[in-house]
Amino acid sequence: MDAKPVIELVGLEVCFGERTILKNLEGKFSGRAIGLLGPNGAGKSTLINTLMGFYPPAKGTARVFGHDIRTGIRSVRRLIGYMPENESFIAGMSAVEFIRFMAELAGLPPEAALERAHEALFYVGLGEARYRKLEEYSLGMKQLVKLAQAIAHGPQLLFLDEPTNGLDPPARQRMIRLIRDVRERGNLHLILCSHLLRDVEECCEEVLILKEGRIVQYSNLEEERRANRRFLELEIEGDGEAFAAAAKDLGCECALSAGRRLKTVLADGVEVRDLYRTAAQCGARIRRLSHKRDSLEDIFLKAMSNGNGGS
Amino acid sequence: MSDDRILFEDVSKFYGEVLGVNRVDLSIPPGITTLVGPNGSGKTTLMNLMTGLVRPGRGRIRVLGIAPEEPERLFRLLGYCTQFDAFPRALTGHQFLYCYLRLHGLGHAETERLVWQALERVGMTEAAHRRVAAYSKGMRQRIKLAQAMCHQPQVLVLDEPLNGLDPMARAEAIALFRELAADGRYLIISSHILHEVDQISDQVIMLTSGYVVAEGQIQAVRSEMHQEYPMQVLVRCDHPGVLAARVFEQDHVVEVKMHADRKGLLVSTRDGERFYELLERLVLEGVINLESVAPADEDVHSVYEYLIGSEGGAS
Amino acid sequence: MAVYKRTYQPYQGPLTPAWSRFLVIARQAHRRVFDSRFLVFFFVLCFVWPAVCAALIYLRHNAGAIELFKINVARLIPIDGQFFFRFLGWQGSMAFLLTAFVGPGLISTDLRNNALPLYFCRPFSRAEYVLGKFAVIAMLLSLITWVPGLLLFGFEANLEGGAWFRDNLWLASGIFLGSWIWIVTLCLLALALSAWVKWKVLAGALLFGVFFAAAGFGTAVNAVMHTDYGNLINLPQLVRTIWAGLFGVRSTGGIPPDSAWTALAGICALCLYLLDRKVRAFEVVRS
Repeated sequence: MDAKPVIELVGLEVCFGERTILKNLEGKFSGRAIGLLGPNGAGKSTLINTLMGFYPPAKGTARVFGHDIRTGIRSVRRLIGYMPENESFIAGMSAVEFIRFMAELAGLPPEAALERAHEALFYVGLGEARYRKLEEYSLGMKQLVKLAQAIAHGPQLLFLDEPTNGLDPPARQRMIRLIRDVRERGNLHLILCSHLLRDVEECCEEVLILKEGRIVQYSNLEEERRANRRFLELEIEGDGEAFAAAAKDLGCECALSAGRRLKTVLADGVEVRDLYRTAAQCGARIRRLSHKRDSLEDIFLKAMSNGNGGS
Repeated sequence: MSDDRILFEDVSKFYGEVLGVNRVDLSIPPGITTLVGPNGSGKTTLMNLMTGLVRPGRGRIRVLGIAPEEPERLFRLLGYCTQFDAFPRALTGHQFLYCYLRLHGLGHAETERLVWQALERVGMTEAAHRRVAAYSKGMRQRIKLAQAMCHQPQVLVLDEPLNGLDPMARAEAIALFRELAADGRYLIISSHILHEVDQISDQVIMLTSGYVVAEGQIQAVRSEMHQEYPMQVLVRCDHPGVLAARVFEQDHVVEVKMHADRKGLLVSTRDGERFYELLERLVLEGVINLESVAPADEDVHSVYEYLIGSEGGAS
Repeated sequence: MAVYKRTYQPYQGPLTPAWSRFLVIARQAHRRVFDSRFLVFFFVLCFVWPAVCAALIYLRHNAGAIELFKINVARLIPIDGQFFFRFLGWQGSMAFLLTAFVGPGLISTDLRNNALPLYFCRPFSRAEYVLGKFAVIAMLLSLITWVPGLLLFGFEANLEGGAWFRDNLWLASGIFLGSWIWIVTLCLLALALSAWVKWKVLAGALLFGVFFAAAGFGTAVNAVMHTDYGNLINLPQLVRTIWAGLFGVRSTGGIPPDSAWTALAGICALCLYLLDRKVRAFEVVRS
């Protein structure tokens, strides 16, 4: 963990005309990979765009690596890379030309830019296709080019907006793997903005949840996972009802759905072995046993309902 | 028999030289059917064939007994939500739904009623009088859904309907789909998010490069594949070595792989039942303390890996 | 160790100076411009008239040629304000055509596929962006206007001697200033159109339209209202008025030079405003 915060929000407020999109955001964030979640219109894109200097803040300010976005936005932009959600390219150029051009704009000398462009393309896995024109690329390839242009100039902070948008499953896995690799090896911080909770769970250690322009939750996923040891999810074959009843007798809270899926909290003193014994007694079989996976979903839903009361 | 299914009989579609789909035979029952496959595998082609937007080069298609060549009859009971994010620029959400619904020949009052009903179902009543161009991506997606549903069709063809929706809207949309399917409707959905496909589908159609490689309920598909792909179970416990030794004694076990963190075991077995029996025995005898056990490849994702693999990525 | 693992590495090398970044755009655009054989051909064509002028200057001073062709020196075109006025007039038209070919695609290609956010998430300001695009056309236009103009001036000065040079230095500044006024106007107009019209061909057509339609309209207004103020929107006429002032030639426009300067300044300001509206990282749609 770095001592210096990556992002500092100091009473940040952003307005479009009369609508206030971001309301008085405060916080210091220094995680390696932060997921940014929230319903549509919560202000996620606006926050990212403001940190990049696309919108001026109406009140307050923010700091990225210590540089103020009001006074030192150029220094901020020197340190960041951005992978936009929408399609973003220049037609008529090949991938190499495009990434080289973008790297030169970020300040790299032409030869270094060309080298880094090829490195980035090799890294994301674009082979011979890099010499073809960008308008001919498939969606997956365009996403990879967007990622490559975001990392070619060696930033310290990456903004990724829906990186797996439209990708089919193997391409999505490749993208997630790449993102995790970049995070681990590159001395790079990430801010990942996504609607897919799975993506955020796999790549990020911390989550920032926005709702209606306010921060409603900031959680550390690692800690949440560690705290979930006693929460179990089971899939039962056989008499699920009887099993649920017997488990309740043991003192464990149970919730049965569809007659086969059971969520339970192990009471103190109750172990997995006891559950198996119970199953054998009821003539049921445990086909699947795992510790609760969807902690992020719960955190999110709780944040949404809290947000209602809080705002 | 044929009137309650969506039928494809030996259907092929080529775009010049480029393959759309080739020799497809399908019989789709009511409920949620998900089309799964890489980009370019033919999912959108199938949907366009079903709705009559393209005509097959060969073969016959019947949607509940109606041929797609009869759009007047077909679109009374079919609604289509495309993957493309394009709208007439100057319309508001409400106008968008209203105009297209009036084309069905309904009177003004009836159309208004249905439009507001659809808007309510997708949660867009507040934003209905704003222009579609000003909507966020999620809102545009919901308006598209509303447009497909507003005439309460029997068949809903939805091309990546959850694209751009935030987690809550996804959950709401999924609940909506389940509701519609419970009514006996036919929902044809295409999606890339495989764990959601697992959650919601009654049956799955897997496509690659224009061919259907699997069709039906995912468990059934998986059990058909057991010969080539033995069942894999992931077990995490405190003494995986001990478990591995005991497991190797069994003749139905094909392969045991130790996880990199040395706390988990991936067991490939030809007989899942006997393996579970063994596991139960070991837990009850106290030989191992179990942390988790899960079939590793009974979901759509694994079947996808086996049948389709990693084709369709970047070249 | 014989196995090399290729992973992501941060960049630790030197960076180019900040002020020179806008030239990256110019460099890249020039590479693409000269890919087109038609443009290369046209560009070369733009040097024909300067070559002819150079020949004329040469002929005036070459004793052998004068004898050979029995040229009456007194009747040859004098190298004065009128000469350079006509030189610039012709090159100015060529410059307009060159701008119509090169200009419209400049900003519209970036806008069409939403590449602007990628420009501005780098240490690169909107002003630098416009300056870079401006430099693309400006460099090309300079090469066919004031650069050959000043060379011709230098050539004549060299042949005539120091006195002529001192007496006619104002001509040189006229060439330089006149060219730049035309370059700035053309560039801003082309860039503004390129930013507002997404299709290259349409933007090019509009450029012609703005010129000739406005000129036609202005002439019509003149005829109908019996005035000369219609010329205020007649761009070629405006520029010619200014050039006439710079080169000491009698102007035919009928409008005073001050008005011409003001009108041109107004047009440039309008173009800058249009550019400011469109060249943004993010577009907000009003509901």
